[in-house]
Amino acid sequence: MIDVVDLTKSYSDLQRGTFVAVDHVSFQVGPGEIFGLLGANGAGKTTVLRILSTVLKPTSGTVRVRGYDVVSQPSEVRSQIGFVSNNTAIYDRMTATEMVEFFGRLHGMARDFLAERVDRLFEQLRMNDFRDCPGSKMSTGMKQKVSIARALIHDPPVLVFDEATLGLDVMVARNLLAVVRSLRDSGKCLIFSTHIMSEVEKLCDRIAIMHQGRILDTGTLDQLRSAHGEESLEELFFALLSRHEATPDGSIDFLVTDSRAFADTHNLENSSHAVVSEGSE
Amino acid sequence: MTLENEEIGNVESAVEIATPKWKNVWLIYAREMRDQLRDRRTLFTIIVLPILLYPLVGTLLLQIAQFSHEYPMGVCVVGNEHLERLPALIDGESFSEGLVESKQPMELVKYSWNEFENRDDLATASEKWVRDGVYDVVVILPPEMANALDPTVDVDEARATEATSDREPNISPINVNVEVVFNVASDQSLVGRDRIAAVISRWRDRWVSRILTSRKVDASLLQPFGVLPRDIAPVNVREAAFWSKMLPFVMLVWAMTGAFYPAIDMVAGEKERGTLETLLCSPALRGEIVWGKLAAVTTFSMMTAILNVGSMLVTSTLVFRQMSMGANGVFTAPPFIPLLWLIIALVPLAALFSAVALAVAAMAKSSKEGQYYLMPLMMVSLPLVLLPLMPGTTLGIGTSLIPVTGMFLMVRALIEGQYGAALMHLPIVFCVTTGALLLATRWARRQFESEGVLFAGGEQWEFTQWAKRLWLDREPYTTPMQSYFAAALVLIALFFGKLAVTSMPNTFAGIAQLIMVPQIGLILAPTLLMAIICTRSLRLSLRLVIPKSPLALPVALLLGITFHPLYVLLASWVSAIYPISDSAATAMKPFAEQISAAPWLYVVLLMAVLPAICEELAYRGFIFGGLVREGAGLRAILVTSVVFGISHGVLQQSISATCMGFILGWVSLRTGSVLPGMLIHVTNNALSVSMGRIAEWDWQGIDLFIKSSPGGPEYQPIWTVIAAGLTFCCLFYFALMRTNKESFFGMVFPGLSTVASDSKLARLY
Repeated sequence: MIDVVDLTKSYSDLQRGTFVAVDHVSFQVGPGEIFGLLGANGAGKTTVLRILSTVLKPTSGTVRVRGYDVVSQPSEVRSQIGFVSNNTAIYDRMTATEMVEFFGRLHGMARDFLAERVDRLFEQLRMNDFRDCPGSKMSTGMKQKVSIARALIHDPPVLVFDEATLGLDVMVARNLLAVVRSLRDSGKCLIFSTHIMSEVEKLCDRIAIMHQGRILDTGTLDQLRSAHGEESLEELFFALLSRHEATPDGSIDFLVTDSRAFADTHNLENSSHAVVSEGSE
Repeated sequence: MTLENEEIGNVESAVEIATPKWKNVWLIYAREMRDQLRDRRTLFTIIVLPILLYPLVGTLLLQIAQFSHEYPMGVCVVGNEHLERLPALIDGESFSEGLVESKQPMELVKYSWNEFENRDDLATASEKWVRDGVYDVVVILPPEMANALDPTVDVDEARATEATSDREPNISPINVNVEVVFNVASDQSLVGRDRIAAVISRWRDRWVSRILTSRKVDASLLQPFGVLPRDIAPVNVREAAFWSKMLPFVMLVWAMTGAFYPAIDMVAGEKERGTLETLLCSPALRGEIVWGKLAAVTTFSMMTAILNVGSMLVTSTLVFRQMSMGANGVFTAPPFIPLLWLIIALVPLAALFSAVALAVAAMAKSSKEGQYYLMPLMMVSLPLVLLPLMPGTTLGIGTSLIPVTGMFLMVRALIEGQYGAALMHLPIVFCVTTGALLLATRWARRQFESEGVLFAGGEQWEFTQWAKRLWLDREPYTTPMQSYFAAALVLIALFFGKLAVTSMPNTFAGIAQLIMVPQIGLILAPTLLMAIICTRSLRLSLRLVIPKSPLALPVALLLGITFHPLYVLLASWVSAIYPISDSAATAMKPFAEQISAAPWLYVVLLMAVLPAICEELAYRGFIFGGLVREGAGLRAILVTSVVFGISHGVLQQSISATCMGFILGWVSLRTGSVLPGMLIHVTNNALSVSMGRIAEWDWQGIDLFIKSSPGGPEYQPIWTVIAAGLTFCCLFYFALMRTNKESFFGMVFPGLSTVASDSKLARLY
C-alpha cells in the first residue's frame, strides 16, 4: 500500500544551513497494518508524513501510495489518503457537518451519497450532539473527532495520523486509539507517528525508530526486542540512540543491519512486486 | 466507538476520479465567502463601516458648515476718517453698499488714526489682533490718502491755480498703499484677505470713475467690453468632470483596502490557525485553492469598493443639497452609465489587487505579520492611483501603458463621454491589465506552490548567525535572493549618485568623471563586492564563461551591429511617444557637443567599453546568474531588463534600454555567459556614439548604410530592413544553438558535464 524508497528531504535553514530533515528513509506498510513512526520531536516524522500526503515534495527518493507516485500523481495519492495531524486544524467559522461535507465535496462525492456517509460517520464517532456547533465553540476532543471524520469521509484505504494524540486529554486520546484500532481491523493501512512509547507498544504492528532524519531500526516490537536485547521499548529506544551517537558514521553500520533485518522479516522483494502490480491494475 | 468493516463500506464507486476543476474552485470560493461573511470583523470593516462612516462624516460636515456659516468675519478698518473727500468706503457700521458681494456677514470695527501713538504702535497692535484672532483682517488706510488725488478737483482749474499759488494741487496720483494685515496660517483670515481685496478693488473703481467724470471723461471708457464666460460642456459632462476624478480614486483605494484584509485572513490567518495544511492535503489542487481564494478576495474587494462609493454618493448628494451647493450643478449624483463603466473596470483591477495581496499575504506567518506588509504594498500601489489625479495627466499611449493608471484614465474618458479616445486605447489598456493580472496570479500561484512560503518555521532571525551562514554557505554562483539584493543595491546607489550631481560638466574630463564614477563605483564595485562576499567563484558568479559554441561571440558581434538600426528606430519611436522636454534637451546639449569633439577612441572607451563591462557584469552577470536558477529564465530576463532600464534614469532611455535588456538577457540565457551580451552592448554603444563620424567617412559605400540629414546622421531605410533580417537570423542562431547549460554546470561539476555532453553527443551520432 505504502512504499517509501530512499526518501530524502533537505531544507535550508538559518541555524543549520542546509539541513537534511529526512535522510534516505525506506519502509513499506501493507493493508490491515498499523505502522508506528517513533521518534523525538524534530526526528523527521512529520516531514515524512507530509511528503506522504503530498503537501511537501521529496528532494530525492520515491514514495508510492497504492502504486500512485506522490510527485507525479498527487491528486490520486490524496484521494487514497486520510491525513490527521496536529497541524490540520478545523475551521472556526464552520460547523462540524459543514466542515466534513466540504471536504467530501472536494473529494467529488455526490451530494446525497455524501449526506448518508456523513450521517453514518457522525453516528459511529458519536458526533451527533455537536453536528451544528461551530469550530470555535468545540472542545479539543470534539475538534479531534471532526478531524477524523474529515479524514475518513472519502473512505481512504490509507490513513495517516501524525502526532494525533498530542495535546489531547487521556479520555480523548484513548478514544482515538480505539478508532485507529478499529480502522486497522477493517483492513485499512495506517501510519501512526508519535513520541509516546506506550501508544506504540499498545497499538503498532510494526515500528520504525527515527532519529535525526534516519530510521535507526525497524521491525515488530518482538523483533526489535530480540535484536537489541532490551525488554522495554523505552530502553530499546535510548540504546539505539546512544549507539547511533557513538558511531561516528553510524548510518552505514545501521543501514546494513537495518536492511538485512528488514529483508528477512518482511521479504522486501515480494512486497514491492505486490505494490507494483496493485498500482498497475 | 468502534467501526465495523461493513460500516465503512466501499465508497470508491462514489468518488469521481476526474473531478471537474471549476467545481472545486467554486467549492473553495463558496466556503471562503461564507467564512468571511461569518466573521464579524470583516463584516464590520467591509460593510458596516462604510455604511455608517459616510452618513456620520456627512452629519459632521453639516454641523461644521452651519458653524462656519454663522461665524462672522472680523474686519478692522483704521484711518477711515481721512477719506472725507473720497467716495465712501464705509457707511455707518458696514462697507458702503455695493462694495460687498458675498452674503457672509462681516463684523466691522473702525479705529481712527489718532487712537495710536505712532505707526509702530499701530503695526504691533494690528499684528497682535490678527495673530490672536481678534480680527481676521486689519485694513490700514494711511493719512497720506487724504492728500491723494482729489476726484472733485477740476484739472484745468488746478493748472490755473498752479501758476498763481504756492500750494501744490493734487492732480497726479501719489504712491500710497492700503495695508491689509492677514495671517496665512488661518483659513478665515485668508478668506478675509480675498474678500477685503475685492472690496477695496471695487472702491478704487468707484474712485477712478469719479475722477474721470469730474474731468469730463466718460467712465464707461474704462470698460470698453465685458467678458462673458460660456461653458459649452453639457450639464452631465460638467457633473462628470468632478465625478470622473473623484469616483475612480475612491473606488480604487477602497478596492485595495477591501482586498488586503480578506487576503490576510485567507492565507496568513489560515496558516496561523492551522487550517491551511488541512486544505493543502485535501484533494483540491493548489491551483484550485488559489483561484477559489482569489475569486473570494476579489468579490470582497469589489463589494467594499461599491459599497463605499455607493454610500459616499448617497451621503454626499444629500449633504451638498443641504448645504445648498448644488446650485452650480456640480454636486449632483453622477449619471448612471458612467457608474456602470466604473464597475466594469473595477473587475480586473480588483482582481489585480487581490492577486498581489494574496501573494504578499502568503509570505506572512500570522495575521499580525500580514498587517505589517500592508503599508509597503499600499505605498507601492498608491502612486498608480494618484498619478491620474495629477493635473494634465490624460489618456495617451504613454499613460495607457502604465497598469492601473491606464485603466483609471480610460474610465475617466468614458465618464466624460470621450468614447473615441477610450476605444482607441482600449487594446493597450486591455493588454497591459491582462498582462499585469497574469503576472500577479502567477506570482500568487507560485507562492502557493512554494514550500518555503507555506511552511516557513517561526525561526528567530539573528544577525551573527545569518552572517556566518552567508559566509559558510557560499555557493559557486549567486542565489536569487542575492540577485534581488544586488539589483536593489545598485539602483539605490545610482539614485543617490544622481542626487549628488548638481550641475552638468562642460569639459570632457568632467563628463568622463560623470560616467566613470557611477559605472565603476556604483555598478561594478557593489557587484564585485557581493560576488566576493557571497559566492565562492568570481568567474562563475559573474558568468565569465566562454560560450561553448565557437560562433556565439562572432554572431553576438554581428547582432550588435545589425540590431543598432532597430535600436535607433525604437529610440525615435519612444521619443515620439514620450517627447523629451526642452529643458532636458538643452541640458544635454553641451554634453553631446563635448562628446562629438573628443577623440574617438576615448569616447568609445568611455561610453561603450566601460558601460558594457560594468553593466553587463552586474546585470547579465551577477544578477542574472542568481535569477536564472530553478529554471526561471523568464524571471531572469524580465527582472534584469527592468533593472537595466531603470538604471538609465531618463524615462526615454529607460524604455529603449529595457527593450535592449530583453535581447541581452535572452542571449545571455541561451549562451549561459556574460560575454556575448558584453559584445552586443559594446557594439551598440560604440555605434551610437560614432554614427556622426562614420557618416563623414570618405568611403563612398558608406552612403548605402548611413545618410546625413539635418537632424543628424540616419540609417538608410533599406539597411534598416536588411539589418532587421540579419538580426532575426542572429536571434534564430541563438534560438537553435545548444544551450550552454551543460557547460555552465560543467564549471561547477566538471565530471558531470563531460558525462552529460558525451552521452548527448553519443545520442546525436
